[in-house]
Amino acid sequence: MSRGNGVWWRVAWRNLWRNRGRTLVTASALAFGYLAAVVVSGLDDGMGAELIDNGTHLLSGEIQVHAANYLPDRKVNHTIGGDDGVDVSALLRRIDEDPDVTAAAPRVYGGGLVSAGDRTEASLLLGIDPVREPRVTTLLSDMDGGRIPRSAHEVAIGSEMARQLHVTLGDTLVLVAPAADGLLGNDLYRLVGIFHTGTPEVDGSYTILPLADLQSLLDMSPDRIHEIALDVARPSATDAVVARLESTLPTDGGPQVDVRSWRRLRPELAQSVDLMSSMNFLIILIIFGMAVFGVANTMIIGTFERRKEFAVVRALGTTAMGVGRTVVYEGILLGILALAAGALITWPVMVWWHNAPPDLSGFVGGISWAGSRWRPILRVEYSTEIPIYSALALFVTSVVAAVYPAWRATRIPPADALGDR
Amino acid sequence: MNLESITRSPARASRAALIATWCLCALCLTAAPGRAQSAKEIVDRVDRLLRGSSSKGKVQMRIITEHWSRTLDMDVWSLGTDYSLVRVTAPPKEAGMATLKAGQEVWNYLPRVDRTIKVPPSLMMGSWMGSHFTNDDLVKESRMIDDYDITVAFDGERDGVPVWEFNMTPKPEAAVVWGRVVEQVRKADDMPTWVRYYDEDGTLVRTMTFSDYKRMGGRLVPSRMVVVPADKPDESTALIYKQLEFDIPMSKSFFSLRNLRSGG
Repeated sequence: MSRGNGVWWRVAWRNLWRNRGRTLVTASALAFGYLAAVVVSGLDDGMGAELIDNGTHLLSGEIQVHAANYLPDRKVNHTIGGDDGVDVSALLRRIDEDPDVTAAAPRVYGGGLVSAGDRTEASLLLGIDPVREPRVTTLLSDMDGGRIPRSAHEVAIGSEMARQLHVTLGDTLVLVAPAADGLLGNDLYRLVGIFHTGTPEVDGSYTILPLADLQSLLDMSPDRIHEIALDVARPSATDAVVARLESTLPTDGGPQVDVRSWRRLRPELAQSVDLMSSMNFLIILIIFGMAVFGVANTMIIGTFERRKEFAVVRALGTTAMGVGRTVVYEGILLGILALAAGALITWPVMVWWHNAPPDLSGFVGGISWAGSRWRPILRVEYSTEIPIYSALALFVTSVVAAVYPAWRATRIPPADALGDR
Repeated sequence: MNLESITRSPARASRAALIATWCLCALCLTAAPGRAQSAKEIVDRVDRLLRGSSSKGKVQMRIITEHWSRTLDMDVWSLGTDYSLVRVTAPPKEAGMATLKAGQEVWNYLPRVDRTIKVPPSLMMGSWMGSHFTNDDLVKESRMIDDYDITVAFDGERDGVPVWEFNMTPKPEAAVVWGRVVEQVRKADDMPTWVRYYDEDGTLVRTMTFSDYKRMGGRLVPSRMVVVPADKPDESTALIYKQLEFDIPMSKSFFSLRNLRSGG
């Protein structure tokens, strides 16, 4: 029967080219649908990647290490290693040894007040290592003025906070924070830097000073830190690093540490990204959902035009199934043709769009979403899944679109059709 | 007085009820003290009793937390419900720290940096001087009858002591943090015994207990107040009045930022 089958494929192929114009138009519609699905999903992925990148590199890092009891309350006494703290440099050395970790930065947090003149704002005080921190996050890379606080009694605040406090570089700020011993720690600092991340929550709330300075304000020993933020070379290695650190870090009988990836640290960011990828499938569904009717329409007309022909073939002894099968084969061949054309036009567009993304920064400012800044640079991201799923969708579309016309073709009564009834 | 106007105005209705009750009592010659007073009146009276038109005193605050404990000696002044000033006198490390409350604002003075700092609205729920009191407690302390609808939840004996228990629910427009406050007051001498604070979900957040009732400044007052947070029963803040004077001459100008800085 395989030989017979080959005949039907050939018949289908020839039928396809009997009305060349129509076939080309239909195939192009599918090919452009494929292009649209892949590119739009790629753009969507690009936005997602941008969100993750900015979301993690701005402040949180890709992985964080805390004392197990630190999150979510962030109590000042819940430091890594408990009340006694840990040998911070040894701990950092151990983390640095992991092959997938590119950088690690220790941090101390305190909730308090920043005051200048008669203005006071609530603030999250962040103590950083001025050398290590810039390797993990970009928080201090965009300075509106000044520099990173490096020595004692130097602080940096965000542009929004500076605006609210009416301060400029060189001004004196008072920091007040409840310390680990219950006292109200307070001291004077000089404003040496103003950062501007574009994320209002960050620019309006963080006050950054050297780790040792915040430790002394909060009456904490140098061995006590709240957090280590990590940067990982490849995003795909994140989970492996988390697993490795979880097994190696629990230290010297002290309290357990808690290692979390950005997916757990920033669930809102993870959800936004997940939402975006689920939208990709919606896009594919909509594009090919529309295509299905266009293709079906053409094929119905095509089969209707060939009513007499089908009738003759039936009258010559072909089974109804055989007639239906040619029509389905036509759909399959159309799908393959469209797919080839689609891949051919999509590939260069993707390469170009990935490497030379249109930068709309000149027209619209950055958008802040889910605690991450999104720059209006429309880069498409490569994906292996989306082209494959889109190809499947295209193929299924052309076959499904052929099913109804094929069924119609099998129902043509030869005598009626030949008799023009 | 016509019936319609009585039903229309709750204030008048309660006054009418009061008059009616008094008449009834007079007729029967049975003076049942207290019961005829409205819940609001009693709560207001208890509030006033502890404050006077002005006051001055010495207070010790003992804070116990999971990680540290501390005792602060403080001088306190108050005028009406709007003004108060608290200055830490010991231990030396904290001496000179002071808090001024003027209306809805709270200011702190930090001697180490010689600055006065206004507590921003976002930190009003923050701890006051590391204690289990919040800055908001200082501001809202005296406004129970303004912000809450007060009803008698219990009237009878608890452990052989006749008491009232008042249920206070925030008025719809009141900007308060509690979902419900319950206060127990001894009938015999109008002394409060405890106050329980619940959040909007009806969960107990903290309990304030009063004890060591003493005559100070010519009045009977609970000289010891202890606050215990419900989620950390091992922690507490106790306020112990060492000395207290009432209705002393004092002017608003005393409660100024300059005075906060210079020491009263």
